[in-house]
Amino acid sequence: MDKLKYVGKSALRVDGIEKISGAAKFIDDIEFGPGLLYAAIVESPHAYARIRGIDPKKALALDGVVKVVTGRDFPYRFGLYMKDRWVLAQDSVRFVGEQVAAVIARDKRTALRAAKLVEVDYEVLEPMLEPLGAAGSEPPVIVHPELGDYSHVPWFFPKPGTNIAHHRKTRKGNTDRGFTAADFVLEDTYTVPRFAHCAIETHGAVGLYDHSGRLTVWTASQSPHTQRHVFAETLAPLGLTHKDVRVITPYVGGGFGGKAGVTMEILAAALATSVRGSPVKVIWTREQEFYNTYQRQGVITKIRTGFRKDGTITALEHTLVWDAGAYVEYGANVVNAVGLSATGPYRIDNLKIDSICVYTNLPPGGPYRGFGYSEMIFGLESHMNMAAKKLGLDPIAIRKKNAIKEGDTLAYGAHMNPNGLMQSIDKAAKAIGWNKKPRPSGPDKAVGRGIALFWKAPAMPPNASSSVFLKFSEDGSINILASAMEIGQGFLTAMAQIAAEVLAVSPERIRVETPDTDRNPYEWQTVASHITWSCGNAVRRAALDAREQIFDVVERGLRLDRDALYLEKECVKSRTDASFSLPLRDFIINGIMQEDGTFRGGPVVGRGMFMPEFSSAKSNPETSQGGHPNVHYTTGAGACMIEVDRKTGRVKVLKAALAVDGGRIINPSLAKGQVVGGLLQGLATVLYEDMRFDSKGRLLNPNFTDYKIPTAHDLPDEVIPILVEVPQPDGPFGARGIGEHTMIPAAPMIANALDDALGVRIKSMPLTAEKIARALGGF
Amino acid sequence: MPILDGFEYHRPGTFEEALELLEKFKGRAAILNGGTDLVVELKDGRKKPDVVVDIKAIAGLDGITIEKGRALIGAGVTFGAIIQSKELEKRLPLVVEAARTVGSSGLRNRATMVGNICSAVPCLDSGPVLLVLDADVIVRSRRGEHKIPVGRWFLGPRKTALKPGELVTAVSIPFEKKIRGSCFMKLGRYAGEDLAQASVAIAAMRGAKYRIAFGAVGPVPLRAKKIEAFLAGKKISDKVLSGASGRVDREISPITDIRASKEYRLHMCRIMLERGLKKAVGLL
Amino acid sequence: MKKITIKAKINGEQRTLEVQPMETLLEVLRETLGLKSPKCGCDRGDCGTCTVLYDGRAVRSCLILAPEADGREIETLEGICRDGLTPLQKKMHELNAFQCGFCAPGMIVSATELLRRNKKPSEGDIKEAIGGNLCRCTGYEPIIDAVKAVSGKGRR
Repeated sequence: MDKLKYVGKSALRVDGIEKISGAAKFIDDIEFGPGLLYAAIVESPHAYARIRGIDPKKALALDGVVKVVTGRDFPYRFGLYMKDRWVLAQDSVRFVGEQVAAVIARDKRTALRAAKLVEVDYEVLEPMLEPLGAAGSEPPVIVHPELGDYSHVPWFFPKPGTNIAHHRKTRKGNTDRGFTAADFVLEDTYTVPRFAHCAIETHGAVGLYDHSGRLTVWTASQSPHTQRHVFAETLAPLGLTHKDVRVITPYVGGGFGGKAGVTMEILAAALATSVRGSPVKVIWTREQEFYNTYQRQGVITKIRTGFRKDGTITALEHTLVWDAGAYVEYGANVVNAVGLSATGPYRIDNLKIDSICVYTNLPPGGPYRGFGYSEMIFGLESHMNMAAKKLGLDPIAIRKKNAIKEGDTLAYGAHMNPNGLMQSIDKAAKAIGWNKKPRPSGPDKAVGRGIALFWKAPAMPPNASSSVFLKFSEDGSINILASAMEIGQGFLTAMAQIAAEVLAVSPERIRVETPDTDRNPYEWQTVASHITWSCGNAVRRAALDAREQIFDVVERGLRLDRDALYLEKECVKSRTDASFSLPLRDFIINGIMQEDGTFRGGPVVGRGMFMPEFSSAKSNPETSQGGHPNVHYTTGAGACMIEVDRKTGRVKVLKAALAVDGGRIINPSLAKGQVVGGLLQGLATVLYEDMRFDSKGRLLNPNFTDYKIPTAHDLPDEVIPILVEVPQPDGPFGARGIGEHTMIPAAPMIANALDDALGVRIKSMPLTAEKIARALGGF
Repeated sequence: MPILDGFEYHRPGTFEEALELLEKFKGRAAILNGGTDLVVELKDGRKKPDVVVDIKAIAGLDGITIEKGRALIGAGVTFGAIIQSKELEKRLPLVVEAARTVGSSGLRNRATMVGNICSAVPCLDSGPVLLVLDADVIVRSRRGEHKIPVGRWFLGPRKTALKPGELVTAVSIPFEKKIRGSCFMKLGRYAGEDLAQASVAIAAMRGAKYRIAFGAVGPVPLRAKKIEAFLAGKKISDKVLSGASGRVDREISPITDIRASKEYRLHMCRIMLERGLKKAVGLL
Repeated sequence: MKKITIKAKINGEQRTLEVQPMETLLEVLRETLGLKSPKCGCDRGDCGTCTVLYDGRAVRSCLILAPEADGREIETLEGICRDGLTPLQKKMHELNAFQCGFCAPGMIVSATELLRRNKKPSEGDIKEAIGGNLCRCTGYEPIIDAVKAVSGKGRR
């Protein structure tokens, strides 16, 4: 690779000092003055019920209550990929916690007290709480009887009259022939429950509908432009157009997908229109964060794989039935994405994938780091290990035998991009000492090693795009205006580094800040691990555009040969004249003065846009063949060495390594941060995060006391991040995303290591100590 | 959720003032000490007192007093202070060991041992330890001071022998010279802070006598008298440990909840008892 | 609801405040005093984002009633770096120790308390000090590394 000055270095975060000094402002930190109103939400205590009536009388009687609003005031549907969700419930509620009414008051406590006084008359119905029954041909409950009326993206296939919101079918080759050709067929079922994002900052939004008809919504969101679009569309009946709606997003305290799309923020937007002229704040408590934001869907997967004696996969049948919750406007795309990629990173010629999105009366499922791939890979990579065991093959060898290579045909017909999968496998295994199992530390302990491969592609509409403005100040410093979001991943810094590389201005002289949709140009969403690639490309193009303008000005202003010009240390230099060095600050705003006193040039403003024009969601609905729905895959492998206590079932992770191919790592320290953070988050899902619902669909542990997320004590003894670089041809400097991927292999690699240690195979998550001790026959 | 219901806040400077307030408001007053329990209850709306009496201004409550035969841990002594006490580390290591497992350091800087036993939640960490050490709870009212052995302190989940108008001023823990070794084991779901799903406190004494108490596996923490009787006089061996752990189900009555099943709690109590005994007698 | 007047030293400055008994210290710091660095992540003492120094000790300000603070000395992150970033903060910046930054104030307060009383903490001491500060982004390693580096122990 060519020698780069800024890309590839561990530049300091451009938002580092703000965050470390406590100056960084999040949604709840922004002051709106004494006129700020608060909204408290009246929530359904039932998983499924019809609303017979709502009486706000007692609430309105409280001093300080300004308004009480119900679904009658906002009978509007919204949704990202399918419009199946209501601003406030209409005739029925579909999950415990669903918003039914809102009380707007002068202060928080009054709003909360008043919310308790709103009387809702429910006709309680029997809820549908599990997906297999819900997916059946005659389910007792149809969660969305009007499914046939919902508008949706053309690549969804809902089945009206059922609870099936979408069914992605992928068919390739001939599985009958494939199974016949197999020496060995393994079939098994795996269960992955729901999980919570647990960003440390809860969701929040403030809406202000002023007297000029302008709606401004401040939100903790990963997707300001998409939010603006949804607000404008949904509230269009009130006379709002896009030009009237402005979304401003401050720093976000963790997203992990949970702050993508639109969930509770629609309430701030809608409620603002009820109290024109006053800002109204809606902030979620930690409990609400657990039960009324997106959750990671649960899934039951059935995998049937045919193998030859040497481990080659001859056929795969993969059925995934997803517990997608009460509203699937975003979650259905998770189901879709996995339906296209449920082969895992393997070359499989004969396959049949059915990924089925099922409505249930549980909280809405939605995007969560990994977008369904963690759930799918748990089953698939557990399955590969079991097959290896049965065939007497080494778990690494069987994977390498089938590992997908560049150019191989994917499940839906397109071709696999360049990737470092093979070297990731080798490096991860080596890092944990695959061939050097340590001795157990005591008589009750056993040591095991596990490996799991992973891959994931960004799941986006085929026209997801990024656009960027890049402008200079008089002193030659730069502002980059993009609408991607800093959710912790370090995107602001990465963009500064990319621009720095092109324009020879160091990242410390570049400001990149969180967006305002009025000022910053369009970005689809900060999801899918696609921002480094997509927005990075847009930034690079904007920088190149600026560079062209700079050379234009110098060419016209000084009559120099532009082909000889280059940039270095904030100056324009010439390859044919070593003495020429013109600082950008001398002309970047004001141009170059001519002899006659006139000027050439003017402010240089770079513009860049990136939208992949090869991506298409159009394919055969019965086979998924013919489209190019995924722009590329990021691949890698995770490996671990664990020690298990045979009596207590407690797992200690001695070493965990994760190798991921980022194409070209823009900032190694930030990339490593994604690996360590993602790995720990993944380990938590397999070892102790445990969502519990009661028989009426109520979440029993909506708090950190009983939904355990990792503390500093829970780190593995050693975490080894490995950054692999096999360039992505269409990525900025060869980069592709890695943000989500670092979670994906955690669960199966632990399950595999457990099997290696004790010969115990557990096919449902989480693998808590209790579950392991029980499987070991301890009690 | 912020606290929605109002109350009067009082901060008496003396016992007399405090006791007068508690007498006056009887069941409508809540005692505020470290606050890590009460403030959550106020937020949840589980307690709606008319009056909150903050006892932290009363002189003399936040000391650890080492007397000839005992340590007096004042009501205001936090778990953090217990951990940092070199005297307690030396003379009552079991107390310090249990204190280290309570919550996190930020909680331990406020939460008190007396507050812990007054909350009497079944999973409390101090309970088993104080039972094993035969501690007394020192209670004061306007009628004077009296002590309640900790074995008679816990009456049920969140129920103690404290009567309205009374205040716990300290816990008195005797120094038992015969204790050779001790151990506190707590079952959590992972390495981070957790409420106990089961716990066991063990004191191994000279003459092969043992004191054992379980926590979080019954409505109140309890001394395992049957196991103690079985172990008395016996040297710890695999066979003896097996006999002891085989008797655990006669002592405890764990429940199944979202944190753990009763079977796993029983299973873990057996394991923790065996491992705890080994550790207490120095075999691990 | 009757307000109570309290006097407390906040970030080195003696303040007189009117508080309601049922307000928490966290609410008063954020809403009455406009100090936004302590955050409300859970309001139950489980997450540590509300951590401040209270008479020098790291505590969860969401579990302290405002009137209790009368006569007390409170330091938030704003006060800790009032005169400039501390060596710990500089090291954290150098190591890109935080990602989203929401846990940072509480985390830094806890680590600051540790370093003020123990200049050479072990890894166990560090984990103990920040064990109640939840971070979902970083996996804690760079934070631990920063505390280690500043106490002269070097990276793991």
